[in-house]
Amino acid sequence: MGVTKENCRNELRTAIRQLTDRCLYSASKWAAEQLVGIEQDPAKYPPSHTRLQRDCSSIRRRFRSTDEITSTPIAGTSYVSTPVPEDDNEAVDSDFYLLAKTYFNCREYRRAAHVLSDQTGKKALFLRCYALYLAGEKRKEEETIELEGPLGKSDAVNSELVSIERDLSTVRKNGTIDSFGLYLYGLVLKEKGDQNLARTVLTESVNNYPWNWSAWQELQSLCTTIETLNTLKLNNHWMKDFFLASCYHELRMHTESLSKYEYLQATFGFSNYIKAQIAKAQYSLREFEQVEAIFEELLRIDPYRVDDMDMYSNVLYAKECFSGLSYLAHQVFMTDKYRPESCCIIGNYYSLKGLHEKSVMYFRRALKLNKNYLSAWTLMGHEYVEMKNTPAAVDAYRRAVDINPCDYRAWYGLGQAYEMMGMPYYALHYFKKSVFLQPSDSRLWIAMAQCYETDQLRMIEEAIKCYKRAANCNDREAIALHRLAKLYGELGQDKEAAYYYEKDLERMEDEEREGPNMVEALLFLANYCRSQKRFEEAEIYCTRLLDYNGPEKETAKSLLQAIKFAQSGFPSMDVEHFS
Amino acid sequence: MAGIVKPQSGFVITPHKVSICILLQVYAPSGQFSVPFPFASISQHNRLGLFLIALTKSCDDILEPTLDEFLKLLKEFGGLLDNWLSEHVNGRLSSLSSPDDLFTFFNELRGILAGPETSIVDDDQINLDPNSNLGMYLRRCLLAFNLLSFEGMCHLLTNIKTYYKEAFSSCPPYEMTHLDDPSNDLEAPLEYENMDLENIVLQNFTEELESRKRVPFHNHSSKALFTLIEDIMVSRGQKVKHNHRSPETSVLPNTEPSDVILQRTNWQIQGYLSEQADMIEKLGSSFPMSAFESVLKLLQKVAPELHRVHFLRYLNSLYHDDYPSALENLHRYFDYSAGMEGSDFVPTSFGCTSFGRYEIALLSLGMAHFHLGHPKLALEVLTEAVRVCQQHSDDTCLAYTLTAICSLLSEVGISNMTGIMGASDSHVTSMGTSLSVQQQLFVLLRRSLKRADSLKLKRLVASNHLAMAKFDLTHVQRPLLSFGPKASIQLKTCPTNVCKKLRSSSQLIHHFDNESSVMTIDGALSTSWLKNQRKPTTSLVFPQENGPEGNFDNFYPWLQSSSVPGSVLQLLGSSYLVRITSWELYGSASLARSNALLFATCFADSSSSADLALAYGKLIQHLAVYKGYKEAFMALKIAESKFLSVSKSGILPVKLQLLHERALHRGHLKLAQQICDELGVLASCVDGVDMDLKTEASLRCARTLLAANQFSQAASVAHSLFCTCYKFNLHVENATVLLLLAEIHKRSGNAVLGIQYALASLSFCELFNLDVLKASATLTLAELWLLLGSRHAKRALNLIHGAFPIILGQGGLELRSRAYILEAKCYLSDSSISVSEDPDIVVDSLRQACEGLEALEYHELAAEAYYLMAVMLDKCGEMEEREEAATRFKEHVMAFENPVKPEDPLLNML
Repeated sequence: MGVTKENCRNELRTAIRQLTDRCLYSASKWAAEQLVGIEQDPAKYPPSHTRLQRDCSSIRRRFRSTDEITSTPIAGTSYVSTPVPEDDNEAVDSDFYLLAKTYFNCREYRRAAHVLSDQTGKKALFLRCYALYLAGEKRKEEETIELEGPLGKSDAVNSELVSIERDLSTVRKNGTIDSFGLYLYGLVLKEKGDQNLARTVLTESVNNYPWNWSAWQELQSLCTTIETLNTLKLNNHWMKDFFLASCYHELRMHTESLSKYEYLQATFGFSNYIKAQIAKAQYSLREFEQVEAIFEELLRIDPYRVDDMDMYSNVLYAKECFSGLSYLAHQVFMTDKYRPESCCIIGNYYSLKGLHEKSVMYFRRALKLNKNYLSAWTLMGHEYVEMKNTPAAVDAYRRAVDINPCDYRAWYGLGQAYEMMGMPYYALHYFKKSVFLQPSDSRLWIAMAQCYETDQLRMIEEAIKCYKRAANCNDREAIALHRLAKLYGELGQDKEAAYYYEKDLERMEDEEREGPNMVEALLFLANYCRSQKRFEEAEIYCTRLLDYNGPEKETAKSLLQAIKFAQSGFPSMDVEHFS
Repeated sequence: MAGIVKPQSGFVITPHKVSICILLQVYAPSGQFSVPFPFASISQHNRLGLFLIALTKSCDDILEPTLDEFLKLLKEFGGLLDNWLSEHVNGRLSSLSSPDDLFTFFNELRGILAGPETSIVDDDQINLDPNSNLGMYLRRCLLAFNLLSFEGMCHLLTNIKTYYKEAFSSCPPYEMTHLDDPSNDLEAPLEYENMDLENIVLQNFTEELESRKRVPFHNHSSKALFTLIEDIMVSRGQKVKHNHRSPETSVLPNTEPSDVILQRTNWQIQGYLSEQADMIEKLGSSFPMSAFESVLKLLQKVAPELHRVHFLRYLNSLYHDDYPSALENLHRYFDYSAGMEGSDFVPTSFGCTSFGRYEIALLSLGMAHFHLGHPKLALEVLTEAVRVCQQHSDDTCLAYTLTAICSLLSEVGISNMTGIMGASDSHVTSMGTSLSVQQQLFVLLRRSLKRADSLKLKRLVASNHLAMAKFDLTHVQRPLLSFGPKASIQLKTCPTNVCKKLRSSSQLIHHFDNESSVMTIDGALSTSWLKNQRKPTTSLVFPQENGPEGNFDNFYPWLQSSSVPGSVLQLLGSSYLVRITSWELYGSASLARSNALLFATCFADSSSSADLALAYGKLIQHLAVYKGYKEAFMALKIAESKFLSVSKSGILPVKLQLLHERALHRGHLKLAQQICDELGVLASCVDGVDMDLKTEASLRCARTLLAANQFSQAASVAHSLFCTCYKFNLHVENATVLLLLAEIHKRSGNAVLGIQYALASLSFCELFNLDVLKASATLTLAELWLLLGSRHAKRALNLIHGAFPIILGQGGLELRSRAYILEAKCYLSDSSISVSEDPDIVVDSLRQACEGLEALEYHELAAEAYYLMAVMLDKCGEMEEREEAATRFKEHVMAFENPVKPEDPLLNML
């Protein structure tokens, strides 16, 4: 790694102080998390200490204080070392600034802005604009509820945007803007809808001051395609790796994202954030076991964490782990019941219990708290599907895809809902969308194939194509092979059918599964080999069939007899007629 | 469910309403005497009263004027008092600075209402009767104010401030408008500022027009642009008239769009959207796409629960052939609305509402595929629609779907049903697959007619009658059963049937003429753009809504504009179009022309631009055939000026056909070939789509080859065309193709072969009652006989004379001239008749032939006619005239052999 841990540590420490000083709390929270996520030097500290690092805060604090004294910063290597800007300690302003900050901390934003209205320093300007921005946001939220007209949302906007933009653009033209100002400017521009300029401004901001994670996040939300991401001119800083990893995840490049995080983990070995992100990527790759392990560890270290726990609940749901889910739900409920994630977890719990009405209620609450909460819309759609309320399900799914048109689960849900209503042809449109977004998910291909296979459509050839795709992308439930064999059998293309039956058989043997599919495959293959005059193979299949009870056993017996007749040169007779 | 629109909140108090209330207070101050303070006379007082009544009536209008406009209006009405009044309004508005001021103001207002007990009051005292127009209005305002929460009051206060400020400051206060458009960059001007929705459309429209003008191919005059813009203005003008507003105020309302939208109720916006939907259908691809799209985006942003916007976006992209976007928006609309929103939706008694009505989505999707020329996909989707309709027992939708399938089958050439209609559709396959497509279509038509009749869907019945008429026009009815006793059936099309069907379809108008209630009863379904069976979206805006202001829809201008809904008019119009075609086929040129004229005059406003183009095309072609090209091209110019973009309208094929015909006549074969190719390119490449264009193009191609004396090639093109027509059951076209084949053999000198084709064509003509074509085929037959030798001249002459009534009565210039020439030839070659004894019988008709052919610029035939004439005159010994005819003959021969004439002004029309 091109940058030493010490270096990171020092940069982060300064950054936390600066961010906190400007009331950018979530960014400083993030920075602090990464700071303690940096692995301690095993040479200096015995491993036992590092293992306890997360559990024993007092130890950690002590370590940190000593650390600060002893550490000597080492210059970065291939990375562009961004000089940590010195704080402008404007002595005259500082009293007002302190007052404004206290107001800000008490969430009295307008008051804070007012106190700073005559101040000229960069810090003061930033805090004033930021406070105004937050005041505007608060008012906007209120107005959205107050003005909710007959047509839904009102056009409530943050009324401060214009003045903030005016101020910041003048400062930018003067060249006296600092990177925090640029961040805020980018935020305002983004909200105004001027995406291109917002991207430029935010890029400028993160290049000047890379430790503001909020700026990176805003930038990420503006990079919806890999092309735009590649056109960004970003300095090489280790923060860029965090950014890229997160972007890759959003762009559904999960393996790339995963490798980036693993690389980062070399430095930030104890970062909960990275762990959670890895879990996210693994979840998208459907590696549930690993996700579960990661979350268990996370909960042990950080038991009051609510972030990302909804994904954990999804995993528990998928594994039908009642007690685990209920425990999690209880935990987050006690921690903070009015977080959208908490509501979502509770909704998941009720859904698993089969209490769909209650579950919908909690998803609704989650959406009330954050109406752009994507997974809640999708999950609510699932609930409505369970409740057989398809129009409501369609509506919920549609809202999800309108928030994020790349949400293949919601597209899939839409397809399913329409299929349920007996409109398979209409549903195909949605399945197509879904497989387009996630071509490596066999379940989607299978769903689409089943849609083609329905009695109403009977488009067997298309179904076969879909099943083939499904079989090629790691079809866990092994539906595709069996269906392929069956469809080819129906079409009378016995050669292909035999091929797929064989493959299916192999697979079942590998996984040591038994069942009606096995019998069917054996029976078909026995018949097929006999008709192809490959009597030895046919015999093998027949003998295997003899292990099963039921009518197949008798058929196998008569088949064996017929084979023997045929082999011994007797005129063949159709024994099946007698069986 | 989240997807359903909340009930509209109805009467919202706005700054404009507050100003009206201020004036009301002036008009009827409490406890004053007959002529209160500022008024000098009773008439002045009454004037204000009238003004106020007009204002209150327009309170549900889509737009609310700004203070500036309002004051301007006031000036016009106020006469001498205007200064005082406007100052008073301004003063009162500016004095409203705190919520308490508002409270006091409305309390004062309450005072001017007469209480119920004081209903009999002193004549001298002015009190507002609570039940009068103004009193009601005031009460509504008071009620709306009382219902306001404190927050609502604060918003009203801010709105009043902006309303007031905007009028008195040149630069508007903080405007959020430019935030609305995500694509804006910083430098972009605040384009939506100071503009209302329709003005945006108008402005962008003009811009689009201008940009289109630069494209060299469509050379339309600026007059066309003007008329189109005017068209829009007219629709606005109507509104103005109904709202008692002076036009100049409403042309440029100075309102910020998002504000405007907020002040509009759900109804008003839906009305606006319906209007726009009509416009899109009417104008088709010439509707300004991007301009309207930006308006829709704005609307969507402001009112995300108004899902109809998605439908409009769908329509917009559909009519501009933007397939992905159309599909996307269609799905989005139906996902949100479940087919239960807007005017489409009438709650049905049989409780299917809880499932949603997604079958309408299928129907719409099917029609979209149809429109975009994907017949197979359309058929798949419609089949599914039939199934879902049956499942949900949605009979109305089923009837519509069946009609849609019928029109699909009749318009798209489908040679083989198997493999297209899956095994699933009981409606189609229950009859067994042994039936041909046409038979299945016939059965389907009859069923859907019956179904529509039993459901009392009047429009659908009419359009089904129309479809039946179209079917009868081109199909011979044969018994469906191939066994059993057979009634004697005349194997011929039945013109009387066609007439009957046409008449019963146009009876529709009577239903709408006298009973307007029918409209609301049968409004169970509308896929409003479904071309022929559209609903009156205009008159059907929410028949089920009975909010607090249920009666106020009377004030909507579009309700009063016409007593007959637009869709009915459109349907009637298309019945006239069918009439044109039927008369054309049955060989009555004058009736066809008069019907086309009737359509163009009566239905031009209500029909879609495609239909209109069709009618204009017929008229132009009529002119070309009967009057020559000069007049036809003049008419074409006029027609072109009516269309925004010629390249996209139905006029273009007409123009190409005209140019081709002319090029053929003048002998410009290269040009003719080029035009032919262009015509062919217009058709879609999908099999079975745009069959008429395709047949037309290859027919013309064969004719061009024939003119170039490439007989074998021409014959092979004609032959393959015949095969195609046979495959797709286009028998009427087959008659023409056979005739062309006969012509080819005639030109190649193979009369024996030609006669067979001519006879075959004749029998087709008889089968389908194609009288003019039959006359033309007879003529060709006669020519062929004559070709066999002069001993057949008598027979040929008999044939011509038999066909003469039709030829002279209904035939075009070319046909007539050909007949005259042939007659002359017969006389000349018939040795039993001595022409020189009675030269006039030949010379007269030849002279007429010459005139006609000169108008057509048909050099080849004209040369022949002059040659014959010269020969005749020579025989009679009239040397002078002979010389003249000979010169003319020479001229025409020269013109024919050296076809390139660079100065030809019409050449650049291409």
